[in-house]
Amino acid sequence: MTLTNVFTKSARDRITSTLVGAVVIAGLFLMGMAVYRGIDLSFYADLPKAFRDMFAISDTINVGSLAYGAIYSGYGVLTMAAVALAAGAGAIAGEERGSTMGILLGNPVSRTRVAVSKMLALVFITAIGFLILWVTGVVVPHLLDVSTTGLHITPLLVIMFVNALFYGFLAFALSAWTGKNSLASGVTAAIMIVSFVAAGLLPLVHSLSWLQRFFPWYYYQHGDVLHTGMDWGGLAVLLGGIALFAVAAVIGINRRDLRTAAIGTKLIDRLRSNPLTHTVVERLAGKARVSRIWVKTASDHQSLLYIIVPLVFFMCLMIGPMYGLLDNAIKRLGDQFPEAMLALFGGGDLSTPEGFYRIEMFGLMIPAGVMVATVAIATGAMAGEEKRNTMGLLLANPIRRSSVVLEKASVMVLYAAIIGAGAFFGTAAGSLLGGLGMNMGHIAATSLLAALIGLAFGGLALTIGGATGSSQLTAYGTVGVAVVMFIMNGFLPLNTSTEAWARISPFHYYLESDPLLNGMAWGHAALLAGLAIALTFLGIVLFDRRDLRQSG
Amino acid sequence: MTTDIAIHTEKLTKHYGDVEALVDLDLDVRPGEIFGFLGPNGAGKTTTIRTLMDEIRPTSGSATIVGLDTHRDSVEIRRHVGYIPGDLAMYPNLTGRDTLTYFANLRGGVDWSVVDELTERLESDLSKKVGDLSSGNRQKVGLIQAFMNAPDVLIMDEPSSGLDPLVQREFQQLMKEAATRGASIFLSSHTLSEVQRVADRVGIIRTGHLIAVEGVQELRSKAIRRVDLFFDAPVEATPFESVPGARDVEVRNHHVSMSFDGHMDELLRAATSGYTLVDINTQEADLEEIFLTYYRAEV
Repeated sequence: MTLTNVFTKSARDRITSTLVGAVVIAGLFLMGMAVYRGIDLSFYADLPKAFRDMFAISDTINVGSLAYGAIYSGYGVLTMAAVALAAGAGAIAGEERGSTMGILLGNPVSRTRVAVSKMLALVFITAIGFLILWVTGVVVPHLLDVSTTGLHITPLLVIMFVNALFYGFLAFALSAWTGKNSLASGVTAAIMIVSFVAAGLLPLVHSLSWLQRFFPWYYYQHGDVLHTGMDWGGLAVLLGGIALFAVAAVIGINRRDLRTAAIGTKLIDRLRSNPLTHTVVERLAGKARVSRIWVKTASDHQSLLYIIVPLVFFMCLMIGPMYGLLDNAIKRLGDQFPEAMLALFGGGDLSTPEGFYRIEMFGLMIPAGVMVATVAIATGAMAGEEKRNTMGLLLANPIRRSSVVLEKASVMVLYAAIIGAGAFFGTAAGSLLGGLGMNMGHIAATSLLAALIGLAFGGLALTIGGATGSSQLTAYGTVGVAVVMFIMNGFLPLNTSTEAWARISPFHYYLESDPLLNGMAWGHAALLAGLAIALTFLGIVLFDRRDLRQSG
Repeated sequence: MTTDIAIHTEKLTKHYGDVEALVDLDLDVRPGEIFGFLGPNGAGKTTTIRTLMDEIRPTSGSATIVGLDTHRDSVEIRRHVGYIPGDLAMYPNLTGRDTLTYFANLRGGVDWSVVDELTERLESDLSKKVGDLSSGNRQKVGLIQAFMNAPDVLIMDEPSSGLDPLVQREFQQLMKEAATRGASIFLSSHTLSEVQRVADRVGIIRTGHLIAVEGVQELRSKAIRRVDLFFDAPVEATPFESVPGARDVEVRNHHVSMSFDGHMDELLRAATSGYTLVDINTQEADLEEIFLTYYRAEV
């Protein structure tokens, strides 16, 4: 009975994000299949095998396999893994951060039972999400009269489900060992992203392809489950990982002290208490850190930079020499690469280094990296303070609401600029290392546009936060809109009848001008900057007009 | 302070949808006065305070603090106000000293020797992270930030929660000293003994309506008394319950106790008709009894 209660409550707490994720992907699947139905697919058959393997394109290409491959096997698997990851990271650490773990364990229930209940809840809600995708995947082709002959839809969804749970359980185990939500989600997300990129990139480089086995995404991707049926080996590896993480989680939660709040002793704290380093560190980490709202905000979110900037920089750096290693056959045929597949990663063209950088980094990874930072800062700006009930005390000081938001928004700009700079320096160095001769001004222009697209969605988060004060609604709402806009921009232009609609997506103004090749499109940059500014001011106006929320 | 009234509300009303959290609140708090704000849970105390602090906006009516409009002039007002919210939350990763430095930087004009003095008097440890502190010790940091710029007006929502009795005494002393130098204190509290000890006047609020505002001394000197009657034999409750002014009559064998604000001769008549009265004890009611009397009378 107790187990059931923890299970049902945990499932109820987390089901919304899973449902939103699944419904968005289901809707996009409907849109994607409708778009693919209207385009000529005959040239896909001429693609090199390495490409076809990479994007799960069968020898007998058809609308069904493209829609499942792009929407489900591309975005769907990433989205659902990210949702499971967030649920896994918050399962134990979330209770500790909310100081509810103590009262929960005040009942006659062991830590092991709590952990097991929460793991079962994670499996259950993830399964619900995939059930929605399965029903959609079966019904939509019938509605649109698209053939699914030769496609293994159920096995695809099963391995997607297990893949999502792999990252969910990894985050769960880290959360159970450390009690730190942000650490669990940050580390797992970094592992997932690096693994995803490596599993896509390494097969293109013949001499390095053996390395891909060290990245868990390989065990989801390499079997081409959609066309060949279940890859039992890959499934077994992923399930083995889940079992390992589950055992680790149970051991982890039982062996440590429970945390009472989201705090920990960091190196900086030790240096502060050491008499030798006290004076210097006190000045830097103490007085300086709390000197202004924007300084404190920047300090609060600094861990984002520690993860995102090195990740962006080194991945950009690596891509340069990697391009030189690409199989010549792939490069030669690169310009024939189908737009519909490239749309998955924001477009690009493998026959040029600029196109390669666009596919691998600027299309998806870099704007996503900037957006993680801007949306996190914007969500914390109003909704985060209100959720923690600190906004009332902050505003008890003689400072305007608008000033609070503007100072916090300035940190968003600063972080976007730093991540953009990371992308610029990484790409510039990568180009030099690989001897690619890319135009530095064009790299700078593209990096600036990436920062601006991140700021536009940061602005959207400020608007939602300003209007509602709900951190959940702000974060999920913004990410949901961003995913829909990104996919609309990628897929609507594929079909002439829907092409014009892509203009409503901000992503259209990010890479439509192909700035890596053509340099800065100032009009587009101005439009994105204007959107970011307008949304920020809308957020301020809405925040200024409403009552502060009070939690708990 | 530049005005004769520190806090003034006029028909202050706040609705949450259909729920009337605060209805036509008219209230004045004078300079140098400690004003106790009493009421059961959900009565509207926190809504009043949050409206005064411009955290939430009134549905109708208005309020001023030191003569300035609480919404229009909210930034200027906050230069004069020290505030401690009911559910005090601070930044768990900052130490107490960092927290106070942060707010001192935002507020300006904080004399750090005042902070040191308050820290010593409240026996607070500012070197620990706020998230590591017990709720009482966290509350001390909150109190220091409220008092640290010697504000003209202090608005405090359940400020004593979690404090041990010795620190509560020190806090009461701080309030009295602040009032002596001319500051006004708006004190919402459930600790009636504290309000009784420090407040000059109290307001009692229930379901959003202000029921009464009176001086503590006047309130206590009202006719409400605690009466205990002792008899030589067991007695029934009925004859005493029917005496006008008798409330909360409790009978335990030979002993009758009640709150009483009627005519004593009528009570004595009831006590001596058919019974033998052995002893009688009457005492002035404390604030808690008055509060409960007000509250029950309205139910």
